[in-house]
Amino acid sequence: MLFKDQLDFVTQHIKKNKLRVFMTVLAATMGCAFLIVLASVGFGLQDSIRNEILSDEKVTKIQVHGNDQFTEEQINEIKNIEHVETILETITVNASAHSFFEDRDTDSELYVANMHNFEQVNGKLEKGKYPTKPNEIIVGYHFAQSLVNDAERKIIEEKNKKAEAEGTFYNGSEEGYKDSLIGKEIELALMPRIDGAKETKKTKYTIVGVMKKPSYDWMINNSIYMDTEQKPMLATTLAATDVKEDDMFYSEFNIFADSMENVKPILDKLKDKGYSVFSVTEQLDQMNVFFLVLKIGLIFVGTIAVLIASIGIFNTMTMAVTERTREIGVLKAIGASPKLIQRLFLMESTFIGIIGTLIAVAISYVISFVANATLPLILEAATGEDAFSKNDIIFSLIPWQLVLIASAISIGVAMISGYRPARKATKIDVIQALRQEL
Amino acid sequence: MIQVENLQHTFLIGKKGKEKHVPVLKGVNFEVKKGEIVAIVGKSGSGKSTLLQILAGFMKSEQGSIKVNGMETAHLTEAESAAFRLQQFGFIFQNFQLMPGLTAFENIELPLKLQGIRKAMRTEKVKKLMDKVGLTDVADHYPNELSGGQQQRVSIARALITNPPILLADEPTGSLDSETEQDILLLIQSLNRELGLTFVIITHDEEVATIAHRRFRMYDGELVKEEA
Ligand SMILES: Nc1ncnc2c1ncn2[C@@H]1O[C@H](COP(=O)(O)OP(=O)(O)OP(=O)(O)O)[C@@H](O)[C@H]1O
Ligand SMILES: [Mg+2]
Repeated sequence: MLFKDQLDFVTQHIKKNKLRVFMTVLAATMGCAFLIVLASVGFGLQDSIRNEILSDEKVTKIQVHGNDQFTEEQINEIKNIEHVETILETITVNASAHSFFEDRDTDSELYVANMHNFEQVNGKLEKGKYPTKPNEIIVGYHFAQSLVNDAERKIIEEKNKKAEAEGTFYNGSEEGYKDSLIGKEIELALMPRIDGAKETKKTKYTIVGVMKKPSYDWMINNSIYMDTEQKPMLATTLAATDVKEDDMFYSEFNIFADSMENVKPILDKLKDKGYSVFSVTEQLDQMNVFFLVLKIGLIFVGTIAVLIASIGIFNTMTMAVTERTREIGVLKAIGASPKLIQRLFLMESTFIGIIGTLIAVAISYVISFVANATLPLILEAATGEDAFSKNDIIFSLIPWQLVLIASAISIGVAMISGYRPARKATKIDVIQALRQEL
Repeated sequence: MIQVENLQHTFLIGKKGKEKHVPVLKGVNFEVKKGEIVAIVGKSGSGKSTLLQILAGFMKSEQGSIKVNGMETAHLTEAESAAFRLQQFGFIFQNFQLMPGLTAFENIELPLKLQGIRKAMRTEKVKKLMDKVGLTDVADHYPNELSGGQQQRVSIARALITNPPILLADEPTGSLDSETEQDILLLIQSLNRELGLTFVIITHDEEVATIAHRRFRMYDGELVKEEA
């Protein structure tokens, strides 16, 4: 029998029992949609948390624990590991940087790093360029905002008081220096963080670049960054205020892989070599294991719904076979093979499974979309917090893998539940069937 | 064309544990030649239908040999037997056994579908045959919209559509009045003459037996040749 004729045969039977088939498809649809939507919560939460972790940290970064000073040899060894892009030494100056500009001033952190490596890691600036000459510096995104004069300090204090009374917090974003700082000269004094220390003399620096906004809204970066060439001069300046050499600088080493996939092999190699290293990807790995278990659990629960729907398919197919006993007898009598008869009935249950799954996938995407659009609003209204809409929590996510898994389960279960009735059809005795009255 | 040797069949009847053995065929021997119409007569319950069902492969005999066109068919599997039927046999039943959901045309087309023949070819063949057996006017009728005689013509057309060499008929006119019966018998006779088809017809009707070239009587589980 040609495949097209087999299809015709099946669709003809379905048309004859539209309502019954429709109800069975409906049950299959509900089972499969339940499975997809349930599991989509697992996928959604995983995605939300993954994004949270990834936006927090640069994923290619490998942190080195302990502030051991790396030797030149060690640095070269690490650099020579495959897929290591850069090793960045960030030196924290153990003093508060006091900057003066016009009538304004601010306190911030001062970091020293090799600007070439620093650029490799941080990429594009918000404005300006990376320092190339001595006495050139770049500043954090919020540096200008933090430069305030006495009048503004009073205003901020008042606003703070007001905010406190309301139970909120004022971040000072309305004050500060409003114009561009690029090309402007500031004066910088250092205040060592040791008891009884005095502020150093002022040195002039030119701001040539402003860094990008931090990934989080609540993060404030008003730090100052300069090239390692400035380090000896800073040391001389600090030495003038009796700071001991050991207390002047703290180094932090970060290794950067060329891509996220290569973080793991580099980590393994570094650990083999005895370095104490860490990366957020490890955190991701642990999280992925947790979510894998969660998703399997959700799919398992959803599969129960599919199994319940399969009882309907089993019933429908058993009835279909019983009703058509005489017709099956005639088919066999005129020479239809048992295999063909089995296939015709399996096709019918598979058809129910496929249609049910297709509708379920479409419905699930709609439900998922609506849930993601409305749940944050509902939660916001219920809790009075706008955290849900701001943090972009995905409540339900349906990746193609989930569609594939759910389809395989639903259609597979439909086929299995149609198998016994189909077998029963092949076992029908021709003589008994032909004896049945019309 | 058909050679049957020492065919035996016993039914087990009654409840489990108290079964009775009912020997129905006790060693049937007979032969059908190509182009013959053979009639098998006998009392009700003598085992005529059983013989035909074993011949057709609807069930297996316990013992004996059946050769159709030189091929031993007694030991074929169910699937082999089905494929063999589709090629070699056409069936005509007392109660027609048409598919109620299919039109006359589609009923006749069905065996061709099973053979995997393309639509265009099927349509041509079915149209030709319907013309021949006088069914063109009722092509789109469903079985319940046809008279008994018309239904039997459809069933004969369905049996003929695949050009099988042998037609097996169990009481083909048992449900028809005598006038319609005459029509069908004439049709069978003309098909036999024109196409050289071989017929094995089971009947207890003397009228039917008159068109047969040879006649056998089922008696006490054996087949006895009768004079025409
Ligand atoms: N499936 C069966 N199980 C048990 N016994 C059966 C079965 N089929 C037929 N028989 C018995 O076998 C015998 C022969 O039956 P069969 O139908 O072959 O007779 P028949 O010659 O065709 O009769 P009729 O002329 O009435 O159609 C009968 O006694 C019947 O009771
Ligand atoms: Mg009979």
